[in-house]
Amino acid sequence: MKPLKILAQIAALLTISTSASAHFLVVHTPEMLLARSSNIDMSIVFTHAFDGGPTMDLPGINNFYAVQRKAGEEDLTRIDLMDFLEPVKWGTETPKSAYTASIPRATMRSLGDYQIVVEPEPYYEAEEDIYIQQLTKVIMNVGGAPTNWDQSLGLPTEIQALNKPYVNWVGGVFRGIVLSEGKPVPFAEIEVEYLNYQPDFDARKFGPEAAIEAPLPGYEYVSLRTDANGTFSIGLPKAGWWGIAALGVGPTTEHQGKPLSQDAVLWVQAKSID
Amino acid sequence: MKTIFALISFVGLTFSLGASAHSPLFDCFDNGDGTATCEGAFSDGASAAGVGIRVELANGRVLFQSQLDEASSYSFEIPDQEYMVYFEAGTGHEIVLFGDDIY
Repeated sequence: MKPLKILAQIAALLTISTSASAHFLVVHTPEMLLARSSNIDMSIVFTHAFDGGPTMDLPGINNFYAVQRKAGEEDLTRIDLMDFLEPVKWGTETPKSAYTASIPRATMRSLGDYQIVVEPEPYYEAEEDIYIQQLTKVIMNVGGAPTNWDQSLGLPTEIQALNKPYVNWVGGVFRGIVLSEGKPVPFAEIEVEYLNYQPDFDARKFGPEAAIEAPLPGYEYVSLRTDANGTFSIGLPKAGWWGIAALGVGPTTEHQGKPLSQDAVLWVQAKSID
Repeated sequence: MKTIFALISFVGLTFSLGASAHSPLFDCFDNGDGTATCEGAFSDGASAAGVGIRVELANGRVLFQSQLDEASSYSFEIPDQEYMVYFEAGTGHEIVLFGDDIY
């Protein structure tokens, strides 16, 4: 094969893999399950999770809050976290707009679950001439008392957990249900991606080392669909954070005159059993 | 002595997390105003309302003895000497938290 042809094929492959790779709103803190309440440092970055980039400018965050239910209580409490957000530049070579949040211990000190929600402003994806908005949940727990991890929050679209997202063994299965306006979404398109580069909160960038290497670009994310009841199951083959995105399942389909993909994202953490 | 207390307390907390379902869970926080608030729960999500709580000095003198309220919590004035808090969730289910670990 002529060198020029080889180069052209490599370029085409790279172009395809870049455009096809999943976008993920990474909402990360080192541990979802805390033995005791503590200050929580959180990185919020819109990127390609497996490749650790390219990272996109996050235009803004409309809402950032936690929903808590104390053990033995029925009522849900909403804790606003917007005051803890700080706009930052993420990355070193071509820094992009992102956010960090330093949440003081007193804010989330009670035992139980905290469903943390990030509602970003829609991001304009010029290549596809569409907007993307990922309504993202990270479910944390303080002290081990399960309370509301399995509850729907009534978001326009969300992934309702059917397993605790913060307690998973490597090799286990995680299940969930995709909801749009509270109703299950049958045969919804889902992408699952491993957070392959560790976010560095202090340095405002992803770490340099990939945890795993994909044998082919197609392995960078796994695609599946919900079943007729809107539920899905995924395996968790590696310790770390796994992002689950249900694409275009939200009720809002247009933003500023252009198509909007309103996605539901949930992050899950797996621990090695060794 | 404080180091030993802290170590024992840490082991206690770890055990309370690592035990099987329906294990008691307990923690206390310094409110920054001379008081502390303690909260209890169980690992199956059940309420700890009504569970006994005891604040005791290192010399064994009981300062406060009460029960967790409907919100599974209890607040008390922090003593000015070494103390510990007992979460009395039944035989084999008692958790002790040392004052040094309440912050």
